[in-house]
Amino acid sequence: MTVRPPGWDAGPVSDSRVIETAVGEPGVTGTSVIETQALAKRYPRGVTALDGLTVAFAPGITGLIGANGAGKSTLIKILLGLIPPTSGRASVLGRDAAASAERIRTLTGYMPEHDCLPPDVTGTEFVTHLGRMSGLPATAAKERAAESLRHVGLHEERYRLIGTYSTGMKQRVKLAQALVGDPRLLLLDEPTTGLDPAGRRAMLDLIARIGGEFGISIVVSSHLLGEVERICDHVVALERGGLLRADTMTSFTRVSQVLAVEVDEGMQELAAELTRRGLVSRPDERALLVRLEGDATYDLIRDVIAELGLPLNRLEQRRRRVEELFRDDQAASDDRAPGGAA
Amino acid sequence: MSGEMAAQGGVIHDLGYQHYDGPRLGRAAIIRALQWHSLRSAYGIGRGVRAKIVPILTFVIMCLPAVANAISAARGGGRIVPYDTYLFRLRGLVMVIFVAAQAPELVSRDLRSHVLPLYFCRPMRRLDYPLAKLAAFTVACLALIEIPLLLLYLGTIVSAGGGTAVWNQTKALIPGLLIGALWAVLFAAIGLALASLTGRRAYATGAIAIYFFLSWSLASILIGVTGGRPGPGPSPLASRLAGLVSPPTVLEGVRQWLGGTSVSPVPRPGSVGVLYGVMFLVLLGASLGGLAARYRKAGVS
Amino acid sequence: MSTIELSHVSRWYGNVVAINDITMTIGAGVTGLLGPNGAGKSTLLHMIAGFLAPSRGELTVAGAASWHNPGIYRVVGLVPERDSVYSFLTGAAFVRATAQLHRLPDPEVATRRAIGIVEMADAQDRRISTYSKGMRQRIKVAAALVHDPPVLLLDEPFNGMDPRQRLHMMDLLHRLGEQGRTILFSSHILEEVERLSGTIQVIVAGRLAASGDFRAIRRLMTSRPHVFMVRTSDDRRLGASLIGRPAVTGVELTGRGLQVRASDYGAFSRELAVLARDQGIRLRELLPADESLESVFAYLVET
Repeated sequence: MTVRPPGWDAGPVSDSRVIETAVGEPGVTGTSVIETQALAKRYPRGVTALDGLTVAFAPGITGLIGANGAGKSTLIKILLGLIPPTSGRASVLGRDAAASAERIRTLTGYMPEHDCLPPDVTGTEFVTHLGRMSGLPATAAKERAAESLRHVGLHEERYRLIGTYSTGMKQRVKLAQALVGDPRLLLLDEPTTGLDPAGRRAMLDLIARIGGEFGISIVVSSHLLGEVERICDHVVALERGGLLRADTMTSFTRVSQVLAVEVDEGMQELAAELTRRGLVSRPDERALLVRLEGDATYDLIRDVIAELGLPLNRLEQRRRRVEELFRDDQAASDDRAPGGAA
Repeated sequence: MSGEMAAQGGVIHDLGYQHYDGPRLGRAAIIRALQWHSLRSAYGIGRGVRAKIVPILTFVIMCLPAVANAISAARGGGRIVPYDTYLFRLRGLVMVIFVAAQAPELVSRDLRSHVLPLYFCRPMRRLDYPLAKLAAFTVACLALIEIPLLLLYLGTIVSAGGGTAVWNQTKALIPGLLIGALWAVLFAAIGLALASLTGRRAYATGAIAIYFFLSWSLASILIGVTGGRPGPGPSPLASRLAGLVSPPTVLEGVRQWLGGTSVSPVPRPGSVGVLYGVMFLVLLGASLGGLAARYRKAGVS
Repeated sequence: MSTIELSHVSRWYGNVVAINDITMTIGAGVTGLLGPNGAGKSTLLHMIAGFLAPSRGELTVAGAASWHNPGIYRVVGLVPERDSVYSFLTGAAFVRATAQLHRLPDPEVATRRAIGIVEMADAQDRRISTYSKGMRQRIKVAAALVHDPPVLLLDEPFNGMDPRQRLHMMDLLHRLGEQGRTILFSSHILEEVERLSGTIQVIVAGRLAASGDFRAIRRLMTSRPHVFMVRTSDDRRLGASLIGRPAVTGVELTGRGLQVRASDYGAFSRELAVLARDQGIRLRELLPADESLESVFAYLVET
């Protein structure tokens, strides 16, 4: 949940219109940051980028996922008013995307996926200039640019030309320019592209902090489901221009009734002994999957491992993963407990 | 008392994220800010020494006739440079160089770095961007044309005697300034329209230079070949039409159609003068249309 | 065999040492090549593929040096990171051209097979300029596979791929690895490297920082205590008994459970269940906090 600081601008226009979210739960218009109704975008020559998309984005950090060509970028561009929809409606922060495009653009920040930085200006100049382009007066633009660069972690580097920056620094500048206008909603398109593991972790931590501490709602479009699972509260999955599934992260990654046990040696001994004591199990690479029949299962496993003196490395309830949405084969479902239906 | 206690107790200030509650300026202010930013780019301000070479050089060269005139006027020779043509070939050459070098700075750079989506996702309309760029570049070209004219004027009246002489100079200056404005508007529009076709500055500069020089040479050749003669006497029709082919000669034609009397390589259009006016509008319109079309589609990738 | 062997290989450009004295052996199966940006992974791959000569040392692929050896291209397939395809060709034409360049006896059959392997049969007759990034990657892989090489080198193969394409590519590489090919790929996405290959080679600043199975690498880092998160029915009591054990150097009660630092991994992993049982404490969850590839990698890069 995001906490709005006091003195915050009045929230979106509330009316009693109710819109169905994709999972069938009604949500009040006032609490969604983005809503679309039958949003469609068709290009000549029969290319359909969005095909009647109806979805609501809750406040917080939402992961926008889907195959290439599923419509994620098109959706973002329509929400920002960069391209007009063919039909349907969209609203951002309670305002209609077609009628109030400019107002929406004062409230949103966008971090594109592609390279969009000029090499021959400094980070400070660039972010300050874009701050003015967001409508900030000159002094405010300078100050907010300095603050944004500080928040994204660019210090002395900000006075160097952007052409000398590493990929990580460039991504941070892109994020800083999205923040400079104090948006209420951030749209980030593949924010960790080109970053090495340390850079990715830093960027994800930054995004989590912005979504958590700064009180800004974020939509992260990403192909990397691991990172989506790590920082997002909600997930919206698109497929072929329409909605595949929209839900909270906890729902996507709910626990199953399967316990995964990893021991560094003696897995077969363990399986045999568990079977003798009446627990069904099956191996899955390094782990032994045991069907959870209640709290007693935990104790039994503990006792067997203690008796056998095995080195226990891991014990956890298996969770669903977001990527299962994209697995074609049903066999990938971890919910299928050994010995029968889940 | 409480101040002392505070000093003893220590304070930790909140360095967390601050929201912005200040004023947000509208589209007009944003466009003005972009204009100012672009105007600075046109003169290489804030961009290192190399970016200033062409603007400064062209400005100096453009001022040379005014300086020469001031010296001559001081020696009692009167004004040697006309206000309305101001050494046509020099002005044309300098303008082509300036526009070819600087128009890409305003538009091609942004295209090359793919920064346009960052503009268009902000509270401005699509056409605000080329509008701001055009306004800024027109002002830049205006400065390059009108300031030397003013220097010419000042250099002359300093050595002129008496109020009537000054008044005569002023009366002659005004049309010169007007024609200069037409020059600025047309060159800026064509330069930006051509530069907006490519993100590579070298190509843009080349395209602009080639277009102007080629068309100008062609016009000159055609004028010569068809027997055009400068001066008040009549010239063959073909030669009077030949000037329609290139922007500098079109501007000369417009000048003479509007009543400018100074002699120039472009023959007096006479009856076809209005065509020059039309051609001016056609070139201007095509450039503006091209810019609008370009930026309506650009900047979404 | 299709083994890649490096022996004291260095590569420098003037004063810049891109690869610094690397000795390693890469055998059959899938091996991940990891390292921070600029560590030298691309340089290494290009050297193995024969596009760059080592400044020093010996580099052989399947027993033969790769530099100045056109024959190496029969054995090696390279999928570079940069877009290196002719966009005006159709996918099929591109792969076929590669097949013809290899002078395969039957380029058409080879092309069809390669395209089938990467599952691009539907799009093969469209121009590559119309392909998405993921499709381009796959067609590059097809071109690299068309001559059925036992050695396959891929530089950031998952770049730009959407989740489904990633899963397919991972399955594909997994299958190819199972067939006995030697596959070396570089990537920044550690979760995927973790799932795809047990064996990794970590390059930091041009040097080989570690190689092998990353869990084994982690166990070798004995100076760093292993960190675990434990959730039980009585964290505090368990924590109290754990701190009494010599294998444990620290316990901390956090919001997410009991965090345990163990200097002796082996002893701790055997003692935990015993202690919990003896105290009548239910063990609900035990998660190694820093045994993931990501943690191991972070430790390696730090030093």
